[in-house]
Amino acid sequence: MKRNLLIIIVGAVLVVIFALLLFTFQVRQSEVAVVTTFGRITGPPCQPGLHLKWPWPIQQVYKFDERIQDFQDKFSENFTADNITLIMSIYVGWRISDAPAFLNSFKDGSVSAAQSQLQSMLTSAKSAVVGSNSLSAFVNADPKQLKFDQIQNEIEQAVRDELQTNNYGIQIEFLGIKKLGLPASVTEAVFTRMKSERNILISQAQNEGAAEAIKITANANRQASETLADAQAQATRIEGEGVAEAAKTLPIFQENPDLAVFLLRIGAVQQALNQNATLIFDQHMPPFDLFQDLPTNMPSH
Amino acid sequence: MVERQMERNVQKNGLVNLVAAVVIFIAAFVLTCYVNSLAGQGCSIFLGLGALVAFASWFQMRLEENERLEKLEVEELARTRGDSTLFESKDAEVFPARRAREQFEKFFVPGFAVLLFLLEAGGAWLLWHWVAKTTNAVAPDLAMTSLSLFGIFALLLFLLGRFSVTIARLENHRLLRPGANFLLAGAYICLVTALGSAGVEAKFPRADFYLARVLCVLLGVMAVEMLVTLLLEIYRPRVKGKVARPIYDSRLTGLLAQPESLFTTAAQALDYQFGFKVSETWVFQLLQRSLPVLFLAQLAVLLLSTCVVFIEPGEQGVLERFGRLDTGRPVLNPGAHLLWPWPMDKVYRYRTGQIQMFDVGFTPDPQSEKLRTILWTVVHTKEEVNFLVGSAAPTTITNQSANNSDLLKVAPVGLIDVSVPVQFQITNVLDWAYNNADPTNLLQDLATRATIHYLAGVDLNHVLSHGRLEAAQDLRERIQADANRHRLGAKIIFVGVQDIHPPVKVAGDYEKVVAATQERIAATNNAAADAIRTNALASAQAFADVNQARASRTRTELAAFARADLFTNQIAAYEAAPSVYRQRAYYQMFPQATANARKYILLVTNTHDVVIFDLEDKIRADLLNMNMPSSSRNSTSP
Repeated sequence: MKRNLLIIIVGAVLVVIFALLLFTFQVRQSEVAVVTTFGRITGPPCQPGLHLKWPWPIQQVYKFDERIQDFQDKFSENFTADNITLIMSIYVGWRISDAPAFLNSFKDGSVSAAQSQLQSMLTSAKSAVVGSNSLSAFVNADPKQLKFDQIQNEIEQAVRDELQTNNYGIQIEFLGIKKLGLPASVTEAVFTRMKSERNILISQAQNEGAAEAIKITANANRQASETLADAQAQATRIEGEGVAEAAKTLPIFQENPDLAVFLLRIGAVQQALNQNATLIFDQHMPPFDLFQDLPTNMPSH
Repeated sequence: MVERQMERNVQKNGLVNLVAAVVIFIAAFVLTCYVNSLAGQGCSIFLGLGALVAFASWFQMRLEENERLEKLEVEELARTRGDSTLFESKDAEVFPARRAREQFEKFFVPGFAVLLFLLEAGGAWLLWHWVAKTTNAVAPDLAMTSLSLFGIFALLLFLLGRFSVTIARLENHRLLRPGANFLLAGAYICLVTALGSAGVEAKFPRADFYLARVLCVLLGVMAVEMLVTLLLEIYRPRVKGKVARPIYDSRLTGLLAQPESLFTTAAQALDYQFGFKVSETWVFQLLQRSLPVLFLAQLAVLLLSTCVVFIEPGEQGVLERFGRLDTGRPVLNPGAHLLWPWPMDKVYRYRTGQIQMFDVGFTPDPQSEKLRTILWTVVHTKEEVNFLVGSAAPTTITNQSANNSDLLKVAPVGLIDVSVPVQFQITNVLDWAYNNADPTNLLQDLATRATIHYLAGVDLNHVLSHGRLEAAQDLRERIQADANRHRLGAKIIFVGVQDIHPPVKVAGDYEKVVAATQERIAATNNAAADAIRTNALASAQAFADVNQARASRTRTELAAFARADLFTNQIAAYEAAPSVYRQRAYYQMFPQATANARKYILLVTNTHDVVIFDLEDKIRADLLNMNMPSSSRNSTSP
C-alpha cells in the first residue's frame, strides 16, 4: 500500500511537471515569442517571462532572438566602374524588428531562410554599388580619395530600401566590408607588378651606383691628370731654369770655338757609336791606315 | 463463470494494450517528425514493433478463447447426449477453432517472428545510416515540447505496462506478457528520448544523436535475439500438453521491461553461493525495497543542486528568472549564490575578468610557432590573408607615366600580409549578453573591417616601415569606437600590428631591393677608394716629376759649369799643341767609342769585287748560345 502510494505520488508529480512543461513556456530576456493557435497568430508578441499556452498542436510557440545577429555574405566577385574585378564580402548586423511579420515572411520563422533572403539583397546591392565605383574608391594610398564609408552606406541604404518595400520584419542595424580581395589570376598579376616595381628599384639602385662610381672615378682621374699636368709643367719650368742657368757658361766656350766644336763632335761620335753600330773602314781611315803597308794577297800591278 | 469473466478481461486488457500501443506509436511518430528528433525515430520504431506484437498476442488470445468456448460447447453437447465418443473425435470439422489456433501457431507465429526480425534488422540498419547522414536535430525551441510529450507517453505506457505485466503473471494470462513487456520497455525508451531532448535544452545538442545510436544498437541486438530464437525453435522438443512461450515474446524486451528480474536472479545466485538465504537478510531486503526511493532521492538531489551556483574567479553570471532578467541581482559576481531550482532560475556565465584574444589576418600554426627564426620568404602561419593596400608607385614610374592617362586611371594596389592579434575584456556583461547574438564574432568582424579599411587607405611602403606603430594605435582606436557604437560592452586592451610583410611570393624581391641598395653603396665606396688611390698616386707622381726636374736642373747646371771649367783648362792645352791635342783627343775617344761596335776594315784596293756583308743582328743570342745538356746520363761531352 505504501509502495503504491509512493508510485502514485511520483506519477502525480511527473504529470504535474509534464503538464507545466506543456502548458507554459518561458521567453528569455533576449527573445520575443509569437503564439499561433491552429496556425493563426494570436495576440501580441510575448515579452520576456513565463507565459501560459495550450499544448501542441492547438497552440504553437515561435521564439525569436531579438538581439542583433551577425551575418556574412558570400565572398563574391564584382566589376568595378573601371572594369576591374574585385571580390568582396560584407557582414551585416540585423535584428528581428517585427516578429509576427518575420514569422509570416519565412516558413516557421526560419533564421536561415531570412539570411538567404538577406544574401540575395546584399548580392544585388553590392553588385550595383561596386559597379558604380572605381577601384581607387576602395583602395587608395591617398585616404582623401578613399570612399570606404560612403560605399558601405550606399549598400546599407539599398538593402534598407528593399526591406522597407516588403515588410520582412527585419531591420538592418549596421553593415561593413568584411573581406576585400582580388581574383587569383589578378592577384598573380598584382604580384608580377609588385615584382616589377621592385625590379625598378633594384635597377635604380644598381645603375645609379654604377653611375656614381663612374663619376667618382672620372673625377678622380681628372684630378690626377690635373695634378700630373701641373707637376709636369712645374718640372719643365724647373728644367728650363736649369738650362738657362747652364747657358750662362756658353761665353766660356766662345773663347775658342774650334776647340769647343771639336769637343762637341768627339762627344757626338762617342755617343753615336755607343751601341749596335757597324763600322766599315778602309785602309785610309786613321788609325787603320797603319794596315796600308802590310802585305796582301792582291796581285801587284 | 468466473473463469470466463477473467478470460474476457484478459482479452479486454490485450485490446486496451493494442489500442494504447497504436495510438502512442502514431503520436510519437508525428511528434518525432515535428521536432526532428533522431532518438524519437528509434523510439517510434520500437513502439511500432510493440503495436504489432500487441496485435499478434491479442489475436492469439482470441483464438485460444474461441478454442476454449468450442471445447465447452462440445463438452456440454456430449453431456447432453451421454456420448463421449464425440469428445474423443479428432476431426477438424468438429473442432474448427482448435484447428484454427493450431494453424495460427504453426504458420502465422513463425512467419510473424520472421517479419519482426526483418523489421528490427532493417530498422536498425536504416536508422543507423540515416542518423549518420542527416543534419536534422531537435530544434532548441522544440526541445521542451519533445521533452514533455515523450515524458507523458512514458508515463502512460509505464502505468499501463506495469498493470499488464502484473496481470500477465497470473495463470492463463501469459499472452498478455509480450505486449505488456513492449509497453513497459517503450515507457523507458520514451523516457530516455525525453532525456535526450532535455540534453538539447541543456545545450548538449549531440545528446539526441548519441541516444539514436544507442537505440540502433538495441534494435540490432533484438534482431539477433529474434534470429537465435527462430533457429532454436526448429530444434525445440515438443512436449504434448506443455504450453510453449510465443516466439515473438522477446526475452530481451522482458529484461528491459522488468529489470528487477535481474535482481531476483542475482539474489538466487547469491543464495546458492553462500549456502543461506542472502536474499532474506534485512540489508538485501532494505536495498530491494528502497531502490526506487533511492532513485527518486537521487533525482531530488540533482534538482536541489540546481539551487546553488558557484561563479568562478574571472567570471560573471547573468541571472534569469522564468527567462526574464532578474531585477534584484541581474549580475552574479564570483562566489556562491542561491537560486530557485531549474527551470525557474537559469544562470549564464561569461568570462568577464579574463583577457580574451582573437587574431585577424592569420590562423596560428602550432608547428610554425616553434620556429626560432621567422622570415618573410617562408610561410610561418597556417593561413595568411592577402590584404589590399594602397600603393604609391615609385617616383620613376610616376614620372614615366605622367603623360599616359590610361595608366593614371587605375589606382595601383598592393597586397600585404598582416597579423593583428586583438585582446579584449568584457566590461559590461549585460551589454555583451543581450545586445548581440554573437558578440565575439561581431567583434572579430569589426576588427577585420577596421584592418581592411585602414590598409586600403595607406601606402604599402609607409605601413611596412615607420607607419607600423601608428597603425596599431589607429586600429585600436577604430575597433574600440566601433565596439562602443554597437554597445558590445567590451574594452579593447591591445591591438598589435605584428609580422607585417609583403606576401611570400614577392617578399624575395623586397629583399633584393635591399641587397641592391647595399650594392649601390658598395659600388660608390669602391669608386671612392679608387679615386683616393688615383689622386694619391698622381700626387706622388707629380712630386716625383717636380723633384726629378729639380734634380735635372741641378745636374744640367753643375754639368755646364763643370764643362766650362774643363774647357777653360783644355784651351790652355790646345793652344799649347793644337794638332797633337786634337789627334790625342781623337785617338783617346776612338777605341772607347767603337768598343761595342762591329767593325769591318777593307784593306782591298780592287774595286771590281762585290763584298757582301751580313749585317743581320743576332737574335736572342743568349738562348741560341746556350749549351744544351746531354740527352744521355752516361754520355760524356767530347
